[in-house]
Amino acid sequence: MRRPISLYGLTFSLPLLIWQVLFFVFPLVFLVALSFWTVKNFVMRPDFDTVNWTTMYGRTVFWQAYGTTLALAAAASVLTSVLAFPAAYAVAFKLSDTSRRWAVFLMVIPFFTSYLVRVYSWQTFLSDNGIINVILSWIGLGPFVMLNTVGATMIGYLTLSFPLVVLLQLFSLVFIDRTLIEAAHNMRCGRLRTVFEVVIPSARTGLVIAALFCFILSFGDFVSPVYLGGGEPTTLSILITDTTKSGQQWPRAAVIALTMIGTLMVVAFVAVKFAYKGKSK
Amino acid sequence: MSRDTLVSFEGVVKSFGNFVAVQRLDFEIKKGEFLAIMGSSGCGKTTTLRMLAGLEAPTEGVIRLSGKPINDLPTWSRDTPMVWQSLALFPFLNVRENVEFALKMRGVGKAERRRRAEQWLDRMQITEFAERNISQLSGGQRQRVALARSLVVEPEILLLDEPLSALDAALKVRMQSVLKNLQRETGITFVYVTHSQSEAFSMADRVVIMSRGNIEQIGTPQEIYRTPKTRFVADFLGSSNVFTGTLQRGSAGSGIEISTSVGRFDLDLPNNSNPLGQSATLTVLDTKTQLSHTRPAGANAVPVRMIGEEFVGATATIYLETSDGQEMRVQKGHQELAELDLEIGQSLFAWWRKEDGHLIASS
Repeated sequence: MRRPISLYGLTFSLPLLIWQVLFFVFPLVFLVALSFWTVKNFVMRPDFDTVNWTTMYGRTVFWQAYGTTLALAAAASVLTSVLAFPAAYAVAFKLSDTSRRWAVFLMVIPFFTSYLVRVYSWQTFLSDNGIINVILSWIGLGPFVMLNTVGATMIGYLTLSFPLVVLLQLFSLVFIDRTLIEAAHNMRCGRLRTVFEVVIPSARTGLVIAALFCFILSFGDFVSPVYLGGGEPTTLSILITDTTKSGQQWPRAAVIALTMIGTLMVVAFVAVKFAYKGKSK
Repeated sequence: MSRDTLVSFEGVVKSFGNFVAVQRLDFEIKKGEFLAIMGSSGCGKTTTLRMLAGLEAPTEGVIRLSGKPINDLPTWSRDTPMVWQSLALFPFLNVRENVEFALKMRGVGKAERRRRAEQWLDRMQITEFAERNISQLSGGQRQRVALARSLVVEPEILLLDEPLSALDAALKVRMQSVLKNLQRETGITFVYVTHSQSEAFSMADRVVIMSRGNIEQIGTPQEIYRTPKTRFVADFLGSSNVFTGTLQRGSAGSGIEISTSVGRFDLDLPNNSNPLGQSATLTVLDTKTQLSHTRPAGANAVPVRMIGEEFVGATATIYLETSDGQEMRVQKGHQELAELDLEIGQSLFAWWRKEDGHLIASS
């Protein structure tokens, strides 16, 4: 049932509302306006010209970066979800209550250190004379090029979102009605098949939301593609910095940023729609 | 083990750590019978059912299904479908998909699956809801989906764990007759766990009464009602007045009587095999207990005081108290009550014919 918002309720939501208006709606509106400004002799001028949009959308490099970013974020979401699921499943169903509490606690620890620090430490592992290659050389292998590859970028994305995805998946798995699993077993559905027939459909909302978070974080990430991927291939976040650096093209950067926001909104909308499909009736 | 035995429990014990849920079960379930396992919560009835379903493994003993030991058979390798108290319908599947689930797991082809599901949807009168979500159904409709889902594989045995407990009284009664008819028509063995006496007694061919992990009595509802085997059963059913005392030779020189704190009562025991001097329990059904204002001649009578009355439909329960504070109850029709002209606080005699008394030896 929908009820009108009372003044009392508004008192508590007002600070958040003001915050959102000041730091989300206002910059967004400004960003939209900025994308129509023009730049002459490295100086920005308020204007209403669609030239930035036509220029950017007319460039192959933009669409290449767009495709790359979309593909990388999608791959990261799938990879992270697939790798996180067995971990979340084990913690949800195989551990005792005490061990589960410890596992949750341990999964919070990665958030203690800054993401940037964690990415730098990956460099010391992955570089040509880094820890992994040194160890491999002891048994006569390598060196392997690992840093500045797409694989390294993916490791960065995993570092960014893996603990969060495990936690989100875990919270949706622990709320599954155990009798549903028993009922499936009782109807000749074996263990592994039950995971696909019952566990995943039951936890769908949480699993999709977890993957969505991974997508959002990876899609906008700048750190991993630069410091682990070596800036190749170019992602949209890299393209934004390049654009601002080359001739004060902030309006064109605004076009890229708005495209990213639009994409995320569509993806989030579709994902949430899918996550809650067939519910709330 | 006789030929018509479907399931046998042989010395089955189940403990969870230090807690012994089931002490030692030795009983058989016959082919095609409606067996109710009844008891209060924690008596081990659900654990017994879950062991039969393969959801718990017995700590000791053997469970046989059609003669074969099934202890080590996981639940997905047995054909013991169960209906859960929560029904455990899959909320992410619609009604038809729920009913088809077990067939799908058996690798039954799509067309055949649909045909067989259709049959059961029709039989349970839920065809019109086939494409609905579970959340759109009423309690009774869900009940029918759960039954269709379990029965679609046409099993030999169906296990039911208090499936009606969430329904309101009227619907409960209607579902009871649905269940009973279904069992009769299909000939499938039903094992029905419940804490409700009315459910067990109205549907079951035989009832198992459990207490603290033990079987107190197995028998037809009539047997259990008329001749409870233990003091626990008599108290649990709550339909008898119970007296404890010692057996002795009758004061008239013949027969046997029981001497209790509220009097000595003649027993109808032509072939008594119980040693005299042994303590025993006498039970008299509250429907067989009579009331009068004067002491009746030639019957067992107890002086009592009326302490209350309660009307339930066509009958009323009169609550009485003996001189030593023991509670007694009498069931009477309204007509009879009007003739007796009772009022609370009145002194009366509760009496019964000696053949209406039932003796439980070694209380």
